Amino acid sequence: MEESNNKNNNHVEETSKKIVVPGEFLGQTGKKRIGSHVFIKDNGMYSDVLGLLSEADDWINIVPLEGKYDARRDDIVIGVVASERFAGYDININGFYPSFIPKSALRNPLRLGDIVSGIVDSVNEVNEISLTNIRTFFDGEIIHVSPVKVPRMIGKNNSMLNVLKQGTLCQFVVGRNGMVWAKGGNIDLLVKALRKIEHESHLSNLTNNINEFLEEEKKKGELK
Amino acid sequence: MSEESELILKLRKDKIISLLKEGKRIDGRKFDDYRKVSIETGVIKNAEGSARVKLGETEVIAGTKMNVEKPYPDTPNQGSISVNVELLPLASPAFETGPPRADAVELSRVVDRGIRESKTIDFEELCITKGEQAWTVFIDGYVLNYAGNAFDAMGLAAMAALLETKVPKLEDKKIIRKEYSGALKTSRKPILCSFAKIGNYIVADPGLSEELVSSARFHIATTEDDLICACQKAGQGAFTENEVISIAETAFRKAKELRKLL
Amino acid sequence: MSEETNLIEKGKRFDGRSLKELRPLTIKAHVLPRAEGSCYLEWGQNKAIAGVYGPKETIPKHFADPLKGIIKFNYRMAGFSVSDRKSPKPGRREVEISKVCGEALARAVFLEKYPNTMIEVFVEILDSDAGSRVAALTAAAVALADAGIPMRDLVSAVAVGEIFKTPVVDMTKVEEDVEDAVDMPFAVLPNSKEIVLLQLDGLISLNDFKQAIKNGLEASEKIHEIQKNALLERYSPESVKETEPAEKEEKEEKQKKETKKKKTSKEKEGELNE
Repeated sequence: MEESNNKNNNHVEETSKKIVVPGEFLGQTGKKRIGSHVFIKDNGMYSDVLGLLSEADDWINIVPLEGKYDARRDDIVIGVVASERFAGYDININGFYPSFIPKSALRNPLRLGDIVSGIVDSVNEVNEISLTNIRTFFDGEIIHVSPVKVPRMIGKNNSMLNVLKQGTLCQFVVGRNGMVWAKGGNIDLLVKALRKIEHESHLSNLTNNINEFLEEEKKKGELK
Repeated sequence: MSEESELILKLRKDKIISLLKEGKRIDGRKFDDYRKVSIETGVIKNAEGSARVKLGETEVIAGTKMNVEKPYPDTPNQGSISVNVELLPLASPAFETGPPRADAVELSRVVDRGIRESKTIDFEELCITKGEQAWTVFIDGYVLNYAGNAFDAMGLAAMAALLETKVPKLEDKKIIRKEYSGALKTSRKPILCSFAKIGNYIVADPGLSEELVSSARFHIATTEDDLICACQKAGQGAFTENEVISIAETAFRKAKELRKLL
Repeated sequence: MSEETNLIEKGKRFDGRSLKELRPLTIKAHVLPRAEGSCYLEWGQNKAIAGVYGPKETIPKHFADPLKGIIKFNYRMAGFSVSDRKSPKPGRREVEISKVCGEALARAVFLEKYPNTMIEVFVEILDSDAGSRVAALTAAAVALADAGIPMRDLVSAVAVGEIFKTPVVDMTKVEEDVEDAVDMPFAVLPNSKEIVLLQLDGLISLNDFKQAIKNGLEASEKIHEIQKNALLERYSPESVKETEPAEKEEKEEKQKKETKKKKTSKEKEGELNE
């Protein structure tokens, strides 16, 4: 398993991960660097979401188990053209509001319902997202997944992505915003695998488990 | 939504808080001071009882009407009261016509509870014929000019109207308006007192500006025999246990003063 | 009359509970697949289902606040949830309860993170026996956490009060209907003990009021435990073990730009294979 080959990691090999709830006390503030979803009040550190706590001597961080897409610059996202306005298009990227793309930024016009991919160019202080590098997909369909589980679906060095590709033979792109474009191959199986990742994202050995799951499903398919 | 822009509100909030730090309020009052109160009763001829109250520039009017209704099946020997308060659109540029907004509904229900829960009116005394006829005392209140704290103004107006309400004469089960059989019996004089929290400061009888910049409000009705009969915390802020108790203690004191005006 | 005095006898209430004892409370998170977050709750006879949608665009737009998100709380009682059928028209009681519950949650949620958006909370009371609003609020807090919405703390709610001048916690309707009953719905942020909801009706002395608040604070701690467990139960009960790579993955997420860019270019390689 490629994942265990990395020897540069000098942290404890297996840390048990705790699930924390909003408002849960994590310890006194000190030398630790505060990561995401940790807030400080009166010298104490607290979680602000339902998530997985990970910490070491010098940092502390929480990965939410649920949540809407929190856009960051350079994210790749998938969206659907939701409406056309005079100057551009509203793209539904499953965020807090649609993202707007001006017609001037496009080479070809878009149509309602088109599936596009884009890169997040900027997020302003009122959470409005602007996209660049818009590319249209032809055919294919959209699968909705939980945005917070996307890193697990990609995996370190795309390990999970590769397992999914080999196991389903689908062409697909996973948007950081929780929208997946997929075409060809066994899309039903891809959906099942993605749902499994969503449910088990907090468990260890996930890549292997998904690999085994896909192998079994393939065998079932062959037997029919 | 108020016409005041966010920026103006923020500037005012900073000013209000810096004054509060020095122990002062924006209109010069002390933290516990009420604005000038005036109560005028008997102002509506058609009402069985009425009162017009000014609290600072907030002006309200309340009137009572007594009607005969059939008692509810599960309380055949009881009458009832019904309190309805409205924020009239003419009272503020921020109010619109249409169904009452949540804060208007809250105002109405808090004023209602402040009176109802004090048990100042004995519902059994309102019974005329068991199972058939009982009095319902309707208290209607209207805010005519909104300059902060309609709650306390309305509480006073409703209570003042009740205190001077006379029960219409009944002849052959028919109401003879303008002829009365006696005064409506009340056993307590509950007084509603409201407080606003601005930063960490708590002020009584908030004016309009103070209300707009406050994070939370607390309404509490108390009786002359040292009982609390209604409470409501309002707004998106929060209170500590000590703040609530301190508010309750202040409310008893202020209510005693206000009660003298009734 | 003798019926009433039997409601409390020798420190035990008519349903066998002690004065401060809560009715059985069970909470299950994540019950509605289409909502961002959800919760089903049973508290005594009360049954509430809560669903959260958002943060999303504020509609109508003129309610949007450019500085922070807004919470729209919709509390409703089903027609069959009460003894005498309740009309589906939203009544003034529901409007008021929606207001105070929404305000309680607003204090807990980091609304400043979502300017211009709206978080809609829907709670439907399916069966009731006094204390439905604190049931609704308790469920809503769990649903919000289930939706992954950042909060300073959960909101834990409970109704305390008095009957026959005796302080009690979590009254049923039978108790609430007693002539001199005092009913005080109450909610706090458990860490800071800030009171975010407090209503009272009934005649009560200052001392008893102080006691009621203390009872509320104490009872809310129990509610909080149950809320926490409902959220944790959603995921495996045993402690989660992680191998190195996943740990590094989270470290990468934390070390924003550099690693993000690396990952992005890898994504480009790995993903975009049209």
